[in-house]
Amino acid sequence: MEYLLHIVPAVAVGLQVTLKIFIITIVLSLPLGVVMAIARISKIKPLSKFMGAYIYIMRGTPLMLQILFIYYGLPFIIDGLKLADFPAAIIAFVFNYAAYFAEIFRGGIQSIDKGQYEGAKVLGMTYVQTMRRIILPQVVKRVLPPVANETINLLKDTSLVYILAMNDILRITRSIVQRDFDTTAFIVAAVFYLFFTFILTKVFSYLEKRFAVYDE
Amino acid sequence: MSFIEMNHIRKQFGNLEVLKDVTLHMERGEVISIIGPSGSGKSTFLRCLCQLETINRGEIIVDGQYMVKTPEGSQRAVYEPASQVRAICRRMGMVFQHFNLFPHMTVLDNILEAPRIVKGMKTNEILPVAESLLKRVGLWSKKDAYPSQLSGGQKQRVAIARALAMQPDIMLFDEPTSALDPELTGEVLRTIKQLADEDMTMIIVTHEMAFAKEVSDRVLFMAEGIVQEEGSPEQIFEHPQNERTQSFLKSMLRF
Repeated sequence: MEYLLHIVPAVAVGLQVTLKIFIITIVLSLPLGVVMAIARISKIKPLSKFMGAYIYIMRGTPLMLQILFIYYGLPFIIDGLKLADFPAAIIAFVFNYAAYFAEIFRGGIQSIDKGQYEGAKVLGMTYVQTMRRIILPQVVKRVLPPVANETINLLKDTSLVYILAMNDILRITRSIVQRDFDTTAFIVAAVFYLFFTFILTKVFSYLEKRFAVYDE
Repeated sequence: MSFIEMNHIRKQFGNLEVLKDVTLHMERGEVISIIGPSGSGKSTFLRCLCQLETINRGEIIVDGQYMVKTPEGSQRAVYEPASQVRAICRRMGMVFQHFNLFPHMTVLDNILEAPRIVKGMKTNEILPVAESLLKRVGLWSKKDAYPSQLSGGQKQRVAIARALAMQPDIMLFDEPTSALDPELTGEVLRTIKQLADEDMTMIIVTHEMAFAKEVSDRVLFMAEGIVQEEGSPEQIFEHPQNERTQSFLKSMLRF
């Protein structure tokens, strides 16, 4: 018990890094994902082709590779662009997750009946108005379950930043285990992740209930 | 010049010619029904008028304003600038076979939405209009319901109210009762009839022959992308001249 009291605060220090990356990535990648989804289905061919290639690359290479590339590789390509570990990690996470969200939103947008666009058009709405007021609000309801999935994934993916020697929950835990020859810290780390996953699950089920006021 | 002129409209989907030179002139306050077998191009023709489809050739003029024309000797229709096309389309309200209500909004919000965001009206300006429209279609008590909680007939009446809230000069109906159970068509047809009695300019694509006969000033029979016959309801339904019209009407009445 005394040992626990000793290591929990130590692991909790790593929480800061984990949550910072998690929150910043969610806040930036969700709207970016919406924009990318709309670009992906755009009638402007070069734009949608470009988005297709972008999404292919982001989903087709490991996130860890992308983190390493932005941190170590970028300075070689763009002279002098040496990012600190935190911004490098954020950039990799945001652009990677935006690609996944873009595909989720694209599926959601394309699942909306054509009649909704026509109904909006004959009422005089522009494309932007139709998207903002008619299509996207309905898309949100439909994509909540896969977005919840990705969000929980992200929480755990944040542990990849150990590769940049950033002290997130898992890296601190590992160093405690190696120092003390005691695996209790792993359990502590697991409880932290589970606690936040629990909160996320609750948040998403609340959102699903709120959107359940209407059927389609 | 007539209030609405659609001249020599041609429309192709790929290699399929859906409209082969269709012309329609109508006056303000006139009610026209378009009947015909499915695949005859009647819905497409209606959709061309409100810009849900673009035409390949021909011209559309509404109240003296060109929406699209085909220059002499040209093979392709040229649309006016988007702002003018939009302005013309805003004079039209459309009612669809499948209602196309916005499922994430209440009945009242479905009606308030377009006047608010398209016309920039304040809620308190448009609310009395919405109230009177919903009362007129008998659904004021359902104002806080979502479309999924309504019957098909109620949905279509909301859709009509929603279109009317934009105060259109012209109402277009694309098979407004085709998706409804037979016992629900009456309430929708009564609402449309009421509009006809108020001298709304209307084009109705329908399979309801009795209704077309009762409500229209003029009936068009279309088949294979052509207006085969056109005339007063009596002419078309009692004394059809065209062979296609005769056989179509016979098949509609064969129970």
